[in-house]
Amino acid sequence: MKKILSATLFAFVALFTAPASAEELVTSLSADMVSIQSNFTGTKIVIFGQVGRDVHTIGRPGKYDLAITVEGQKHDITTRRKARLAGVWVNRYYETFTHVPTFYAVATTRPVAELANRNTLDELQLGLNHINLAVTGRSHVPLSDRDDFRRAFLRLRQEQGLYIEQERSIEFLTDTMFRTTVGLPANIPVGNYTVRSFLFQDGSLISKTQAPLRVAKSGFEQITYDMANRQPLLYGVIAVAIAMLTGWFAGVIFRKD
Amino acid sequence: MQIYLPIAELPVNMFVIFGMGGAVGFLSGLFGIGGGFLLTPLLIFAGIPPAVSVATVTTQVVASSASGVVSYWRRKMIDFKLGMMLFAGGLVGSGLGVLLFGVLQSLGQLDVVISLSYVVFLGTIGSLMLVESLRAIRRHREGDVTAVKRPEHSRWIYRLPFRVRFHQSKLYISVIPVLGLGASIGFLGSVLGIGGGFMMVPALIYILRVPTNVVIGTSLLQILFTMAAATIFHSVGTQTVDIVLAITLMIGGVIGAQFGARMGQQLRGDHLRLLLALLVLAVGLRFAVDLLWMPSDLYSIAIKKGGGV
Repeated sequence: MKKILSATLFAFVALFTAPASAEELVTSLSADMVSIQSNFTGTKIVIFGQVGRDVHTIGRPGKYDLAITVEGQKHDITTRRKARLAGVWVNRYYETFTHVPTFYAVATTRPVAELANRNTLDELQLGLNHINLAVTGRSHVPLSDRDDFRRAFLRLRQEQGLYIEQERSIEFLTDTMFRTTVGLPANIPVGNYTVRSFLFQDGSLISKTQAPLRVAKSGFEQITYDMANRQPLLYGVIAVAIAMLTGWFAGVIFRKD
Repeated sequence: MQIYLPIAELPVNMFVIFGMGGAVGFLSGLFGIGGGFLLTPLLIFAGIPPAVSVATVTTQVVASSASGVVSYWRRKMIDFKLGMMLFAGGLVGSGLGVLLFGVLQSLGQLDVVISLSYVVFLGTIGSLMLVESLRAIRRHREGDVTAVKRPEHSRWIYRLPFRVRFHQSKLYISVIPVLGLGASIGFLGSVLGIGGGFMMVPALIYILRVPTNVVIGTSLLQILFTMAAATIFHSVGTQTVDIVLAITLMIGGVIGAQFGARMGQQLRGDHLRLLLALLVLAVGLRFAVDLLWMPSDLYSIAIKKGGGV
């Protein structure tokens, strides 16, 4: 079923691809909306596409390299470090990274470092080591310690499953067709995501695409969340009413006398 | 069975949460306590964000105390006037508590304040209860049947102005210590996610000299109202009450409580108090270890604004 679906979608993609100049990259997602319901335990999205080559393009030697990123919305995220204060371990130092993605996954055909030179990777923010981790001006952390915070940040995000680097996970089905699967964990933050694809050849970027992906709660989860935020008073009153009813009900059911 | 929590924004195993609610409910029925001080750390340990754990436990405490109030009400063992007066104080206290909660959360020091307070309060009260229950057990063994010598009236409390008569409790005392007590426990309750029953009961007996037969019912009534208010304050102030988590906990909790209450009737009072003292001390100790030992990971992450993570 899945295969038929991808094949159909693929045909659709191929059909509407108007050849432009040189190599053209076309990508499509298995779904452009991930909805979180009460049974949500994470999901996967399949990204597939084709490197289109029009007839006028002279076939260049060398293999193509691809990188695909899935990025969440950008937020300010604070990393804290504990230190001993009066014998007790407390959060003492912190560094706030501004405008960093809440979720970041990258899939590539080969190790990120081999795709292109450092400057290009930094510019494209491609690979975990190339995400721009800018700090706020009011940081009190000495310069020499900042890299420790950056490393800790990346490590913690990876441990939480929110930053993922999967090298060599893009597979070529034919010379020009490729596919990869990116797992979205259960604790994935909601928001608008961007899926970016990059086509490299011999270390230089020759084409790129971008597609939106939405991660949102739906149904009961959405209603509850909206209510908690938009009508907090009513939400609180309902919570209390449910609690009182449950307690009273239990008291009545288990009544001994 | 995994269920996604809409406010905590992560999936949990429903049966694990149900089991936690049931186990804590059992203990709360056994000892006549709300059990918040056990449930909050358990939830944090299970991976629920501390802010959500604290706020949601206040809702769970509403359910467990409501079921207790129903049975004490039926036996007419509640001093409503005293309960409402304590609640009036509690309202102010829990409002302030929620404000402090928000400030600490934004400073990133919420966890350490919660841990420190647990160590101090559980340590103190656990030790006091341990000493008291061991004495009671020794007396019992020596066959001493004379009534426990009650402490002298705290004179200064009786000299305070604004005295009010509480008929059910046969008291004529100033409203100041009553309001103050309600406020302190409401404050701690909303900051720490506990009902404070284990502090309220001894305070009513030893400070206000309320007769023991109305103490538990009155304390439960005050906890019920204070925690209901705390739930609403948390909903409005921090939006961290997770109703799905709360319902799962309270269903487990009220069932466990009934079994606990039945078992409690078969145990001797001083033995029960000894067990509770050990439990309280163990939880306090657990927090102390966390604060004093070097953490395995010095770093942690917190998002500044918005939902998620």
